[in-house]
Amino acid sequence: MQRSEILDQIKTILEDVAEISPEEVTEDSVLMDDLDLSSMEILTIVADLEESFGIRIPEKELRGFVTVGDLADYLLAQEA
Amino acid sequence: MAPNSDARSAEGIFQGVMYFFRPEKILCLYQITLKEEVDPGLLQAAQDAVLARTPYFRVQLVQEKRETFLAPNDRPCPVGRGSRPPEIPEETNGYLFHFSCEGNVLWFSWYHFIADGKGMSRFLTQVLEEYCNRRYGAVFPCPELPSSPFYDPEELFARFPGCDTKNDMQGEVPAIAAEPMQRTLLRLDRETLIRRALGCGVKPFSCLTALLTLAMGRYLDKREITYSYSADTRGDLGVPDAFYNCVASFQGRTEFGPVPRLEDVVQAVDARVKETLVPENKLGRMAEQMNWIYRVAQLKAPLRIKQRVFQMGEYLGGVPADFWISYLGNPFSPASPELMDYIQDFEVWVPPDGASMGVETASINGQLILCIQDKTGRAGLAEVLRAVMEQEGVRVLEAKDLTPALA
Repeated sequence: MQRSEILDQIKTILEDVAEISPEEVTEDSVLMDDLDLSSMEILTIVADLEESFGIRIPEKELRGFVTVGDLADYLLAQEA
Repeated sequence: MAPNSDARSAEGIFQGVMYFFRPEKILCLYQITLKEEVDPGLLQAAQDAVLARTPYFRVQLVQEKRETFLAPNDRPCPVGRGSRPPEIPEETNGYLFHFSCEGNVLWFSWYHFIADGKGMSRFLTQVLEEYCNRRYGAVFPCPELPSSPFYDPEELFARFPGCDTKNDMQGEVPAIAAEPMQRTLLRLDRETLIRRALGCGVKPFSCLTALLTLAMGRYLDKREITYSYSADTRGDLGVPDAFYNCVASFQGRTEFGPVPRLEDVVQAVDARVKETLVPENKLGRMAEQMNWIYRVAQLKAPLRIKQRVFQMGEYLGGVPADFWISYLGNPFSPASPELMDYIQDFEVWVPPDGASMGVETASINGQLILCIQDKTGRAGLAEVLRAVMEQEGVRVLEAKDLTPALA
């Protein structure tokens, strides 16, 4: 999967979980500050991404997800 | 059986839902050795008599796409034979507990979802009393068991306005080991432990916890040990007869040098324990934990997503520990010397829950009985426990590593 497709998938889930329009989201968007996501919403997004990509993200990785780009980087690495 | 929607209840299992959200199904197992062979027919009759007047336990678990709840269960609740704990509820006609027996031993297992040890003790005790009435002509009165209604969680949250902020990405926590389970049984002389605690001016529970941190530090070859424990909150909440899970859980951390002694760590453990047992602190912690469970339960998401969110949140909330200690005390309620005339021994086995090792402690016949389940994959825990306890003047009655692990 291309990085752009992964980003689209993340945006779709963001819209579904937190009702954030895809136009408002960039790779540099900070999940908590820019997108105003709660920890509960971030975890829900991670759980949805796990389902979508058929992977299990180790808990120790969670603190590394600060921006949308961080999520995309991680998922892209799993695809490799 | 399709549940009647009017009879469904999610209230009483609200805190218990965390056991549904956890990756492992937490089944608790009591092993009670009676002085004479158990008559399965009389045990069945005793169980049925108590169950008939205790509707709280006459239920089954129903799962829908987004939620789980309890519904009435009118099917038979058969007593089993042998030691193998059944799959609950798959092999128990939907019931969330199960009795079985063989020879002198009676096993009582239940899904933690439905109750905690304190909640189960009155039910278990009365089944044993009904059994003794039938088997020996004893005259235990066996009155109907009162059941406190569920408390209002939103009222609890409103009392502690900051209770929704604690699961926001906290500090580092130890990784929970996931090797095949091993078991260790440790029996301590209760009197010598109490004397040791009094000598240090601390609570016996603090003394036992501190001793365990020393032993676990040596066993895991670590200079820092994280432990968890829970405190009953029924009295603080005004629900003394709650069957449902009603606790607040706490974490503590002990650091020590290369050759630590009890005196080096016990005061800090005791201070932590005493601080957390202040009623307002217990309720504040319970509000934090329940608020998290409440928010997860209310997510508009499939159950599997809720389960995963809960697991990640527990990790980020700093729940994982090297070991968990649960102090059941006397497992029978009300405590009765007359009932002990019929009982020889007791063990309690619960899988580690949010920790690499789980230490369940009961107290009967002047013994502290520690039943430890261990996922670290290491060997020789019994030897380490014996060495640390004896070094600190606590008499060890028995220390042995058991195989195989419980199924």
